[in-house]
Amino acid sequence: MVLLQVVVSGLLLGGIYALVSVGLTLTFGVVRIANFAHGEFLMVGMFLAWVLHERAGIDPYLACVVVGPALFAMGFLVERSLIRPVIQASHMAQIFVTVGLAVFLQNGALMIWGADHRGVILPYADRVWFVGPIVLSLPRVVAFAVAMALCLALLAFLRWTYWGKAVRATAEDREITRVMGIDTGRVYSLTFATGAGLAGIAGALLLPMYAVYPTVGIQFVLVAFIVAVLGGLGSAVGAILAGLVIGVVEVLSGFLIAPGLQQALYFVVFLLVLIVRPAGLLGRRGAEELVVT
Amino acid sequence: MSFGGLLALGAGALFAISSSFWLDLVFWICFWAALAQAWNIVGGYVGQLSLGHTAFFGLGAYTSTLATLRWDLTPWLGGLMGALIVAAVGFAVALVCLRLRGPFFALATLALAELLLIVAVQWRALTEGSEGLTLPFRPGLANLMFETKAGFGLYALGLLALVTAVTLLVEHTRVGLLLQAIKNDEDAARSVGVRVLRWKVTAAAVSAALTALGGTLYAQYLQVIEPSSVFNWEVSVQLALIAIIGGRGNWLGAIVGSVFLTPLAIGLRAWLGGSYAGLHLVVYGPILIVSVLFIPEGIVPWASEWMRSRRARRHAAAVGAGA
Repeated sequence: MVLLQVVVSGLLLGGIYALVSVGLTLTFGVVRIANFAHGEFLMVGMFLAWVLHERAGIDPYLACVVVGPALFAMGFLVERSLIRPVIQASHMAQIFVTVGLAVFLQNGALMIWGADHRGVILPYADRVWFVGPIVLSLPRVVAFAVAMALCLALLAFLRWTYWGKAVRATAEDREITRVMGIDTGRVYSLTFATGAGLAGIAGALLLPMYAVYPTVGIQFVLVAFIVAVLGGLGSAVGAILAGLVIGVVEVLSGFLIAPGLQQALYFVVFLLVLIVRPAGLLGRRGAEELVVT
Repeated sequence: MSFGGLLALGAGALFAISSSFWLDLVFWICFWAALAQAWNIVGGYVGQLSLGHTAFFGLGAYTSTLATLRWDLTPWLGGLMGALIVAAVGFAVALVCLRLRGPFFALATLALAELLLIVAVQWRALTEGSEGLTLPFRPGLANLMFETKAGFGLYALGLLALVTAVTLLVEHTRVGLLLQAIKNDEDAARSVGVRVLRWKVTAAAVSAALTALGGTLYAQYLQVIEPSSVFNWEVSVQLALIAIIGGRGNWLGAIVGSVFLTPLAIGLRAWLGGSYAGLHLVVYGPILIVSVLFIPEGIVPWASEWMRSRRARRHAAAVGAGA
């Protein structure tokens, strides 16, 4: 029974990981950039939600409605100003532009909000539901529900809309897509901005459970990358599944091995995936070898 | 400028300067140049980015410090031990990641650094946790500790000389050509019989081992190490930044990069650091972005290109005037 509780807690955590990772993996698949500043988008989202709560008393879950579009806009601007110039450049230039952005955002946050860990205390933070033998914490259930709804909405968008198809086509073959008359530049902006927006929303959803501080993003970007690699870089469905898997693995290992070492397990999982199946759960074999031309 | 000339300049500076502030500055310039040079071996010459060299750095610092504290070993041996252990770790990570293309090496080194940070904090029985370890100050060559800052400056200069010698060895032998071939076109290199994986992994292991020696130097100089200071993401970024801005895959690059950036870092830290540690990095982010966008090759190749074109223009003008 305890094990069931642990698995459920893991799934609830995994839902948020899925939301953080799905944008990252799409950006990698479409724009072909490993965005090391992705965790900082999440951090900015957390801080925005915190400010809204402190200054205006807005509930972090409601703040999603503001934080999501704000981070979408920020992602759009970043893509246009920083990512676009290096889209044809070397791997090196691409990675270090995003690393530079990450460093800038981390320390910008340090400058504005300081190094303290900050959180919000919601009146219903301790509310739990009893479902049979399982205890469900209200904030985690809400976060999971919103995250999953957004993931499914994203999948539906990719599957059925014109721009969704354009995104998938660009991931498949950017040259051919351009020849077909699709504005791939706009696809890049859209994808990058969506990833940033989703990371921001994930940040707002995390705020009732985790404290925010300027370097909180590093931890999450690592998880997000490991999830993305496990799911198969570029695969949205893979990232969602892998997010749930990693959530369960994290909580399980905290329960079975030692609470402090659960994050150590990420590294082991990551190396195992690279050794056994670098294409990930749902990635196409060889997709990880995509060479930027 | 030649390697020997630079060494003489550094050593001369250490003997001529008496102000402890300037000696400290020279120490850190040599220190960061040595570490960036070590990063350069895998990041610059082979083009495999590491975002977690602080893992190798911290592991080296902890190994030699623990060897001194637990077994009373001289840091000469402890440092060597650290270098060997770290070479093995670097080898293993590189072996797994460098078979693949893509950002895997960068990710794995970053994850390794975070992992070691957690281990160093949690494994209190070995590392004393976040309080860190303190080395007793026992000056002497055998203990690699010195009464004067000039002594430590020479130690740092010695390490820089060692790493640069390895780099020059790479640059001027067949190995350098092999690495360059791999960097330029892996498939082409493989097709003419270069053992790509073997060279990439070797370069990573050598780079990691030299970085570990830098960790030992750091521990000896400050005599205090903490998980958060030696397994620190800023260290990883700083190394890459210095090497990239100075010029990757060029032995002068890391040195020039450090001469520019280390005083900048120290100055910014003195200016901004009163409020929070690490705030100076807010300036680093934009510097990194701008340099990658506008002088992607780095200062040294850019400057030598500029000088060459100026010389060519002058030559052309002289020829034109003669005719």
